[in-house]
Amino acid sequence: MSDYEGGPANEDDLSLPRATVYKLIAEMLPEDITCAKDTRDLLLDCCNEFIHLVASESNDVCEKEAKKTIAAEHVLTALQDLGFGKYVTEVQEAHDEHRKQQTKDRGRKGSKLSQLGMSEEELLRSQELLFAEARMRFQSQASHAQSNNSTPGSV
Amino acid sequence: MAASEANTVAAAATGTSNLPAARVRRIIKEDKDIFACGSESLFLISRATEYFIDSLVRESYEFSRLDKRKTVQYKDMAKAVQSIEQYDFLADIIPPTVSVRKLATTETQ
Repeated sequence: MSDYEGGPANEDDLSLPRATVYKLIAEMLPEDITCAKDTRDLLLDCCNEFIHLVASESNDVCEKEAKKTIAAEHVLTALQDLGFGKYVTEVQEAHDEHRKQQTKDRGRKGSKLSQLGMSEEELLRSQELLFAEARMRFQSQASHAQSNNSTPGSV
Repeated sequence: MAASEANTVAAAATGTSNLPAARVRRIIKEDKDIFACGSESLFLISRATEYFIDSLVRESYEFSRLDKRKTVQYKDMAKAVQSIEQYDFLADIIPPTVSVRKLATTETQ
């Protein structure tokens, strides 16, 4: 099995990964039905066009609102305007799930500190202790080095 | 629901997309008019594309079924694109298949 991940060699060849799309196609068709190879490749091109279409329309919606970054609402409006309103409910559900996931991840990251089980005061105190110890170590090292280096009469 | 739909449904349930975000973003960025696209929008476009694939595949399959075939062919997709208004934007990529006979007659004229 080759390790070649397969990104497009050329910017013009930029499209969705074949294997992923082929798998999706297979899942959407009944088990005994296949899709001809040229048809699958055609679908890949259609996906590209679709992405460009929706992105471009979303951008127009975005610009009309005098914004610079395409936001979720712009995409939803664009889908409606393009006649893909039937996707909007499902996409919205996925959107809500996605937002829930994001807040869950953020929550997990934030709780790292609270997992230590120490209050902020205790944390500050232990931090100061560590600094003091390090300072002492540094000072004793410095004075040790000085007493070794100094020779009588040196300035 | 067929077991084969599990993947797409599972993705919807967990708020993820089956399509790689980085690749979708690069495709979007090909449009120089687009200044920036938020990650949530990126996700929505990804999901919409998956639903698009689903729709187009199913609609193409309908035509192969009418023809009593087990393989979805190019002409099925061409017919699906022609018959649905929302797919007009695909007209340039899928010119309707012209029969060879028709081509031959137009050439001799």
